[in-house]
Amino acid sequence: MSERESHHDIAGMLALAAAGALDAQEQRRLQEHARECAACRRELEIWSGYSQGLRQLPQPPIPAQLMERTRTRLVQEHAAAADRRWDELMLGALALFAWTVGLTFWFVARIVTGGELVVMGANLVRFGTWSAGSTVLVWLTAAVAAIALGRRRRELRRAL
Amino acid sequence: MILAAAMNPEAFSGAQDAIARMRRGDPDALTAVISRYQHRLYRYLLRLVREPASADDLFQQTWLRVMEKIGRYDARRNFESWLFSVAHNLAIDSWRGKRGESLHHAGDAGDAGDAGDSREAPIERLSTGEPDALERLLDFERGAMLAACMHELPAIHREVLTLRFEEDMKLEESAGVAGVPLSTVKSRLRRALEGLRAAMEARLPGGRRA
Repeated sequence: MSERESHHDIAGMLALAAAGALDAQEQRRLQEHARECAACRRELEIWSGYSQGLRQLPQPPIPAQLMERTRTRLVQEHAAAADRRWDELMLGALALFAWTVGLTFWFVARIVTGGELVVMGANLVRFGTWSAGSTVLVWLTAAVAAIALGRRRRELRRAL
Repeated sequence: MILAAAMNPEAFSGAQDAIARMRRGDPDALTAVISRYQHRLYRYLLRLVREPASADDLFQQTWLRVMEKIGRYDARRNFESWLFSVAHNLAIDSWRGKRGESLHHAGDAGDAGDAGDSREAPIERLSTGEPDALERLLDFERGAMLAACMHELPAIHREVLTLRFEEDMKLEESAGVAGVPLSTVKSRLRRALEGLRAAMEARLPGGRRA
């Protein structure tokens, strides 16, 4: 590489050198060149001035009560998350309860009807028919409850 | 001063302890961590988005996200880099949501009239009778002008400058925060410095130093 090319190359590295962003090899190359090149030394000094200035910029004041407002928002969000977890737990528990009730009714219905309750050609107290019907009912109820809870959550979020 | 506090080994171990307690769900630890990083995080966000109201909102959102994701934070990773990357991603989402912009285009045209972020007048920073009062005033004015010039740069350049010089982050950490390769951070840093110098020289005809 010619001396001119080397100078041009090094000149392009001076800003990064002042920012401490060169690797060891680049840094060594630059130092060797700068020992002989007054123009690059002068440029490096200017870039160092920028680096130093950037490290000492006026600091923005933090808004009043920002910490307090953040803490309040975190507490609200924490409470909302706890509510969500509770809602989900309740939803699961209710679904389980409904399924258990459905199963109990099946036993009772079998005893009362003697194992046969035919409506429109289908035996309603057959285990398959009964469990399919009660499962559909339970999941429909759970879906309606989940939609209602979701709406409530969105309203709460808007209010936060 | 902020950096000195961050570099203090005792303060560092205290911060690590608070972060570990925060991961276990201790609410007092969260307060301690917010208190420790509030100035730096707010400064970073303000440099990035420039509008105090947006920085304020993003600051709060960042801590909400931190609380939500702290379980997934890898303790081997630098907490500051992780925290700033959370803030960076929220700022990008906010830009996308508001104006359909990206970080690369946000803030290409700045408000040139704002002389820095500090609301403190130069004269208030001087204590009378000190022998270096004039030198401090000149330093402050230079700093304010530099801040104003930085304010005019594109967001990606403001970000790389604040991470390198104010947060004293290594280039690898800055790359982690911005989610770009190291070579991109280097080229952004170089372009940012060149842009800053051009802006300063445009303001100071005949003057070349920061």
